[in-house]
Formats: sequence, structure tokens, C-alpha cells
Amino acid sequence: MTRQAIILGLESSCDDTAAAVLRVPEKGPAQILSSVVADQARLHEAFGGVVPEIAARAHAEKLDTCVKQALTQSEMSLSQIDAVAVTSGPGLIGGVLSGVMTAKGLSAATGLPLVGVNHLAGHALTPKLTDDVAFPYLMLVVSGGHCQFLIVRSKSDFTRLGGTIDDAPGEAFDKTARLLGLPQPGGPSVEREARSGDPNRFALPRPLLDRADCNMSFSGLKTAVLRARDAIVAEKQGLTRQDRADLCAGFQAAVADVLAGKTKRALDLYLEENPSEPTLAVAGGVAANQAIRAELETVCTQSDTRFLAPPLSLCTDNAAMIAYAGGLRFLAGEADDLTLSARPRWPLDQTQPALLGSGRKGAKA
Amino acid sequence: MTANPTLLAFDTSGPWCTAALIHDGRLTVRTDDMAKGQAEHLMPMLQEMLADQGLGFTDLDGIGVGVGPGNFTGIRISVSAARGLALGLGKPAIGVSLLEALVYDTARPAIAVADARQGRIYAQYFGANGPDDPMMLDLESDPVPDAWIQEKPVLIGAGGDALAKLTHSAVETPPTPLNEAIARIALTRLDDPYVPPAPLYLRPADAAPARDTAPVILD
Repeated sequence: MTRQAIILGLESSCDDTAAAVLRVPEKGPAQILSSVVADQARLHEAFGGVVPEIAARAHAEKLDTCVKQALTQSEMSLSQIDAVAVTSGPGLIGGVLSGVMTAKGLSAATGLPLVGVNHLAGHALTPKLTDDVAFPYLMLVVSGGHCQFLIVRSKSDFTRLGGTIDDAPGEAFDKTARLLGLPQPGGPSVEREARSGDPNRFALPRPLLDRADCNMSFSGLKTAVLRARDAIVAEKQGLTRQDRADLCAGFQAAVADVLAGKTKRALDLYLEENPSEPTLAVAGGVAANQAIRAELETVCTQSDTRFLAPPLSLCTDNAAMIAYAGGLRFLAGEADDLTLSARPRWPLDQTQPALLGSGRKGAKA
Repeated sequence: MTANPTLLAFDTSGPWCTAALIHDGRLTVRTDDMAKGQAEHLMPMLQEMLADQGLGFTDLDGIGVGVGPGNFTGIRISVSAARGLALGLGKPAIGVSLLEALVYDTARPAIAVADARQGRIYAQYFGANGPDDPMMLDLESDPVPDAWIQEKPVLIGAGGDALAKLTHSAVETPPTPLNEAIARIALTRLDDPYVPPAPLYLRPADAAPARDTAPVILD
């Protein structure tokens, strides 16, 4: 019989407080018994982005309630759990700390093993959790805080092919929404506007697309949107709805082009390894954007690679992926003790030099 | 209530991990000063304190936790740990404010005062009929309540000196150490209706609304 474990997972590294209970077998897909996500979107709305201190305050008072709900919904009691997994980085440190301390309290009280999980490993292993995809597969994590290509070779072996050297695309979507007076979070509102816009009206840059590597940059694109907006406002003292839709469409097309172009390069490198089941999987909120997704699918079709997008609830931040990644660690005999640290930065691929300058703020790896 | 409850209280609202254990009516305390690293240090320290008395976390009847005001991150470290422990043990965790702890076992009226930096103090008036709400006061710009000047209640705690210049009342150091005061106050509330401990910030989150103003939409 396959060994398996019942894992409680906690996640609080950005603006979602989450807890989940999973049945994780040593081999084969896992079973999600419950997955609770309490989002904080309304708390951050007025600020045009996630405010770390506001996020941390909410996590500290919501985590235990989420854990209780996840246990109730899974019809499990703590005595039936085999280990407690928790995101211990990378992310906004206040939230990560709350999660780690809640998990330590639970572990100390129950004697259950404590397993620290890298948030990015959670995303990167989700295709394994949902579809039991064969290693190695290519992963694009693209969200409000992260953007990178990873070759996933095992539960703990990741090669980073490249990533953003400044902002993540999700941040750029939020900023664009703010610049154009659209509601937060920016991803869905910019996508909605873009549907009625002309992507070719504004010539926006495709940063770093002329370089042969898999690195990306989205900071200059934000500035280009700002300049284009200001030029229109200077001309007619405001924006028409069509101007706004065209700016959104142009911006979204630029992001999609960069991601598709760099995905092509990442795929070339990945396919050189002759994977048994060539697969590109995506994770992160930006992967929910239909225009971006369509371009990525086209790139995959052209290179006979399977395109896999887990259901949205498992693409965005959640605790099921943390429980799963923690479960794999636990089944391999790994665990942490009560000195487990919360880490704001924690690259998955420790062999690569850091992509982001040390002056960058926010959740970065 | 258990006849002789075992209770563990802890606080990381400042540059320290401090804790008090009440067991068999006896008190043991420990304070480890540290500017950072409380998140790594706290739980093993508590575990050692319990082990020294031949106890484990499952022997606890309740938990006391300092909820501030103080260092935001530090407060959350302890409050999150306490909530996790409470959930795991099925026992109550009781939040005790620093200001309550300062005036524990003192005569009334009294004002608990803690330094809030940048020329500010955290203060709470404890009258004969109970406490007023805690507040943050800017000593340069905020008015001091009249009663504080007329009644001249004794000021207890660090930061009292600055307030005394305005109220001209006596300043005293708190009679009970923070860890012990939190433990003794929590002990009296073990059987109260359960309210999960929550941080007492008294200072809003440092966040400004988005600076970018939305453009005018021409219809």
C-alpha cells in the first residue's frame, strides 16, 4: 500500500489568509479535503495595492479561524492530522511570521511535526498535486509578487531559467488600473477594459524581448503607460472610455508578448532535456488572464508541448499547495523544529545569482 | 475552574522574550533580552521553562499573552503563537495589555504610561470604577484630559516622566514585573467568556491612500 499522510497547511505570505487539509500519498495525485481562503481585497482597496502592515494585522487575527474552518470542512480533528505545513517564505514578512508562529503554536500543543514550505515550491508543485504531471516540467509562476520560469525536476530540485529583474506583471496590472482610474485588483479590471480596446493604437515597449535570455522587466512598461496617458490628458484634459480601453489593450498585449516570447525561449531550453511528457504549467493570478493564456497556449501548440493551467483556485494563493508541498517533504522524512525562521527572501534555485536588486521592496524571491 | 490551574504567560512586545509560569501556586519567570530573533527563540524558551518544572504544553490549563501596545511585529509573534497554542490545546488564551500589566496590584486612580516614541505616549486611566479606553497621546499637540490634571493620579511606567511635566503628578515604577503581571491577570480571567487575544496597536497602520489620481473620464 502507498504511504500517505493527512496534512494541515497554512498560508499567509501576501494578502490571502488560507488553511487546507489534504490527503497526500507518496505517489499519485493528492486529495483536497478542504481549502479555505479568506481574501483581504477590500482592506487594501483604497491604497491601490497590498499594504504590508494592514495585511499582517488581518492575518494575525484570521489564521486560527481559517484553520478551524478547514478542519471542520474536512471533517478531521487535529488528532487525525499527521503534520502541520506552513509557508515560511518568501513573502511579506509580517504575514509569514504570523503563519509560522500559529503553526508553531499548533505543533507545540499537539506534538505534530512542523514542516516549513517555500511558497514558490507550493506553486511549482501544484501541477503534480492536480494532474500528477511527470517530472521534469516547465513552470511559469506569474503573479503580483513573482514572475519566473522554473524547470521542476523533483519536489526539491528546481532550476530557474529566468525571471523578472524588477516588478512582477501583477503589480504592473495594478499600477495600470490605478493610472486609469480602474478598480483594484487591477488584473480583472484591465482585462475587462482591454476587450473593447485596440491593442495596436499605442506603441508600448516589450522590455528585454530583444535579449536571448529568459529574463523580463515590467517596470518600464508601467512608465510607458503613464506617459501615454499623460500625453492624452495634456491634449484633451481627460481620457475617453475608448482611450482607456485602448491603453489597457495595448498594455495587456505588451505583457502577453513578453511572456509568450520568453516562454518560447524557456521551452527551447527545457525541450533540450527531452522530457518524457513535455508540459508547460502556469500558476499565479496573472495566469488567469485569458489573453495571456491564449498566447501561451499558442506557443505550446507550436512546440508540441502540453499546456496546463490548474483551476484558478489553485493558481492563486492557497494553502492546499502548501499542504501538498509540505506533505511531500514530510513523507520524505523531512521536518523543521520550533526554531523555524520566517524568510522574506528565499529563492527556490539556490545556485542562481539573485535577479532582483537588494533595494526592491515587497514579496520577492 | 481547575482548583490550582497551570498557566503560562509570555510577551514579545519589546526587545525581549519574557515569560512566567504559574504551577502548583508557584511562579517561575524568565526574561531573555534580544533586539531581534524572538520568533525563533520564543517557543524553545517556553518549552525549556515547562520542562524545567517537569511539564509540557499539554499540562497547561490556559495561556496569557501580552497584546501590546508596543512593537507591531513583536506583538503579532506572541499573539499568533498563543492563538495557535490555544487552538491546539483546546484551552483559552487570554490577552493582557501592557497598560493593564503596568498598574497590576496598584492603588486607583492611576494612569499607565508607555513610551510610544516620536514624542508620543500610550496611556490608560484606571479609575476607582474601572478603566477608560487606552489611547495614544501626542504630548506636543493632543490635549491632556482635565481629570488627569485635576485628580493627579499617580503615573506608572516608562514615559510617565514626560506626561508628569503636564500633569505634575508623581511617577512610579510598576510594582510587578511584566511577565508576572500578565500571568496573574490572565489567571483571574480563565473562566471569563472566551475572547481570542488580539493585538492592541493604538497606532494606525502606516499606509497612505494611492497617490496617483485617476484621470478625468470624458463622456
